[in-house]
Amino acid sequence: MAKILIPTALRQFAGKVDSVEVPGDTVRELLAGLTSRHPELKRHLFTDEGKLRSFVNVYINDEDIRYLNKDATPVGANDTISIVPSIAGGSTAVAEPAQAASLNKDEILRYSRHLIIPEVGMEGQQKLKNAKVALIGAGALGAPLGLYLSAAGVGRIGLVDFDVVDFTNLQRQVIHGTKDVGKKKLDSAAETMLDINPYLRLDKFETPLSSENALDILKDYDIVIDGTDNFPTRYLVNDACVLLGKPNVYGSIFRFEGQATVFAYEGGPCYRCLYPEPPPPGLIPSCAEGGVLGILPGTIGLIQATEAVKIILGIGESLRGRLVLYDALSMRFRELKLRRNPECPVCGDHPTITKLIDYQEFCGIPKHQPQAPADSADIDPVEVKALIDNKTPFTLLDVREPHEYQIGNIPTAKLIPLGDLPKRLNELNRDELIVAHCKSGVRSAKAIELLKQSGFTKLRNMKGGILAWSDKVDPSVPKY
Amino acid sequence: MIRIEREVWDRMVSHAEKCFPKEGCGVMVGKDGVVSRSVALPNVYDGPQEDFFVMDPKDLNRVDEEARRDGLEVLGIYHSHPDCDAYFSKRDLEHSCPWFSYVVLSIKNGRLDHANSYRPDFDQTVANKEELVYG
Repeated sequence: MAKILIPTALRQFAGKVDSVEVPGDTVRELLAGLTSRHPELKRHLFTDEGKLRSFVNVYINDEDIRYLNKDATPVGANDTISIVPSIAGGSTAVAEPAQAASLNKDEILRYSRHLIIPEVGMEGQQKLKNAKVALIGAGALGAPLGLYLSAAGVGRIGLVDFDVVDFTNLQRQVIHGTKDVGKKKLDSAAETMLDINPYLRLDKFETPLSSENALDILKDYDIVIDGTDNFPTRYLVNDACVLLGKPNVYGSIFRFEGQATVFAYEGGPCYRCLYPEPPPPGLIPSCAEGGVLGILPGTIGLIQATEAVKIILGIGESLRGRLVLYDALSMRFRELKLRRNPECPVCGDHPTITKLIDYQEFCGIPKHQPQAPADSADIDPVEVKALIDNKTPFTLLDVREPHEYQIGNIPTAKLIPLGDLPKRLNELNRDELIVAHCKSGVRSAKAIELLKQSGFTKLRNMKGGILAWSDKVDPSVPKY
Repeated sequence: MIRIEREVWDRMVSHAEKCFPKEGCGVMVGKDGVVSRSVALPNVYDGPQEDFFVMDPKDLNRVDEEARRDGLEVLGIYHSHPDCDAYFSKRDLEHSCPWFSYVVLSIKNGRLDHANSYRPDFDQTVANKEELVYG
């Protein structure tokens, strides 16, 4: 009987043997005998239609059967059959015929300024058309990203957002207009993007990105762009990108400063290599708390858009391993080198995070706000108004910044910015009730905590801050 | 996951760097997902080798027989992408074999830039990235 040598890579599917002797007169009969004895080998050698797979070469002794009589080649009792995969490959994008759906005449006109750049050309524009980009957030960063990626001809964009446009967004979220206030950001952004480029395929995901849905949503895209401004989502996007092997184009903004880089790309570092642990909740103010120059997200979002387009086109030098720091006031860009941390829990050599976790918990944000003790419970603005009207002796403490106080304030309030509070405790009466407020209630909660630790006992936090005051008590106080 | 012993990895890298600006290729041999031997093979492609490689099946068969003799197995294939990132290109995919890990080394200006490993599927349509550990 002729002998079939099992390639070492397939021994595990052939009962760990090196060779099999099977009866048969032709190569076809022998291989049929082999796969009936070891059925697991079948899919490795044959297609569903029963044809030898394109990468499988069969040799009889030293001869390739393709040059003999193919699978009808006769086999003698002393012959040896070898199964050898054909191995080849190549890097080039240049020699690859573009498989993209070709561009029609209107598209050629639309993208003409791309097509005449040698580095983009027809092939690059087809890559853009074939590209699938997930954009998390249709807010400050999402706005310039959505506008320019649509215009550039990115074929498919998955937009994830669940927010509604409000007046405070319009100072920077240029994808939405005044007429869009009250609309879903998803719908407002979609309208603008499809107006810019009707060839865009836009997938809308009206949901917060979560550990439950992230992998499912992101798996269909080539590149993920993070346009969010909270830590749980940043870690979530990062881990999902690492697990899925997709580049994470990152940007962040605060007041006059921004950062951008590309994480989890071509062996480069991830967000956790840079920040293994999230900051304590509340330490880094969000844009809603700290403010942001309206133009800033334009600059940072377009750095992200540029990186995404470069990755799609396969040109230039990406920001992988480089964190760009931008300071609008000095109009300077600096660059920090980032390295992949071999100990990184998600992208390191021995990852301990192999699936998505609870990111709210990881970032120290309790799922349910713990019940505040009675002596530091929330107080409604309406009750505060009653205290003032009844001339109850108490201190109304405004812990915002002076420039916020100027926008609008409650006349009886004493202003001590949160940062100054520790050194100005002596200005407060320990025996009297203290009601703290800020813009929305986050900083004042911290103030209450600080006062409690300093021995104050009669404390209340005005729920919803001055925004709620404006809603419930005095609409003449402007919201910001 | 594929793990490559340090000296083996160094040898693969230096081979790929030596082939620059052409594509270099070779076979990774070992056991239980750990590569303990690499065999550099000649690129027998008869066109421009800057962006393509072909292995001679006879070379591959010889490496397989040596592995068999030593109780090892062929775990993967490596090749370089000169002045190009270590992605699994469409051409790589079209000529791939799902039995193996494919380590792609990006060699830029003659030096290793980065590397990735991929597992192609049976239909040569998708290659999933797998964890690559060396050293």
